Amino acid sequence: MKKQTEDNKKDNRFELLRELLLVDDREKFAALSEEIILREKLSKRVQPLVDEKIEDLRINFPEYFGPTITETIKIQIRDSQDEVVEALYPIMGKLIKKSIVSEITKLSDSINRTVKEKFSVQQIVARFLKGKNYDAGVILEQVFEPFIEEVFVIEKDSGLLVGNYTRGSIADKDMVSGMLTAIKSFAEDAFSKEHQNLEDIKFDNFQLTIKNFKSIYIAIATSGVATLAFKDNLADTVDNLAEIILRDRSYLSDEVKLNALIERHFIDSNE
Amino acid sequence: MIAKKVLLVGNFGVGKTSLIRRFVLNQFAEDYISTIGVRVSAKVVQYENTAIKLLIWDVAGTSGDEKIPKAYFLGASAAMFVFDVSRIETYLNIDHHLESIKTLSGLQNITIVGNKKDLLTQEELQLVVERVSVNIDLITSAKEDENVENAFLELASQAIK
Repeated sequence: MKKQTEDNKKDNRFELLRELLLVDDREKFAALSEEIILREKLSKRVQPLVDEKIEDLRINFPEYFGPTITETIKIQIRDSQDEVVEALYPIMGKLIKKSIVSEITKLSDSINRTVKEKFSVQQIVARFLKGKNYDAGVILEQVFEPFIEEVFVIEKDSGLLVGNYTRGSIADKDMVSGMLTAIKSFAEDAFSKEHQNLEDIKFDNFQLTIKNFKSIYIAIATSGVATLAFKDNLADTVDNLAEIILRDRSYLSDEVKLNALIERHFIDSNE
Repeated sequence: MIAKKVLLVGNFGVGKTSLIRRFVLNQFAEDYISTIGVRVSAKVVQYENTAIKLLIWDVAGTSGDEKIPKAYFLGASAAMFVFDVSRIETYLNIDHHLESIKTLSGLQNITIVGNKKDLLTQEELQLVVERVSVNIDLITSAKEDENVENAFLELASQAIK
């Protein structure tokens, strides 16, 4: 049998000692390494899912959290109105001031230009010859030029729309003419004495002028400042139109023909 | 296209507005919206190959004791009287109401509709039919969308007569 050297004997003893002393540490080491391996495996499986979720969140964040954030902001603003006003006032105040100054400058330029034009010798002579001498009206008409926005020719009793002209687009002109007739009937029933009719309705920049005839009424919505001259002109145009329609009743049953007549009368003549 | 003004008349809360909403918008609202005087809605219907635009005037009350402008009734081509089959007070004086509508509108025939069919059993409905003093044209349910279209088609047919 081969005899062991002294060094070998020592090594074995150390090995034995180490085994005896480090049993617990080895177990911990094994557990830890097992845990790390498990985590790595889990990480590899979970990572794509997490990435996918993050991407989804990035794309759909407004959809998922938009309402909640909006609601939170609303509540926050409502509960701290004073702070919001204090924070915004310097910015908003300056913007509003700037906007008002800009608009007043434009208005002032426009008035200056109109005054200069209207008080030229030629214009004064022209107005004198036309018999128009209300200068303020002329200036106002130029600055806040009135426009015919809508014209409705409506059957008096039924409220059915016979013909119309519109500058914009009304959602449902038939419904509007029906409700207008209802409002007119209501106002006449509630406030008027015998055979009085509703003639004007005003709201913001709009004025609704109503002219009543035997079987129809004509409603004209205008915007801007309607001067006396404009109103006179409008009244004449409405009377002429009504005369044509009532003389030739075929207009009442032909919407296209009537619409063309309205446009010719109100719009072309004002251009 | 022919346009006709038609009236829907009846006591408060009988479901006139619900019938119109169901017919025009295909919607039903459980909440009660009180109609202030009148509300005008429009819908185009096809009747015997003719397109008719119905301007439906939803008139609150029947202008009996209520302060309803008489002008609301003028120029109408047809009218529908609506009552609530579950409330006797809405059809108790039906003869008087019909007479009043005929006088104000100048119409001879009025379509009579009993609404809220969904609130009664078949037996209860039969009792109502027997109790109402005039012939009921249609029994409807705006909530369950029963006979609503037919009621308005009947109105359209009256309007173009």
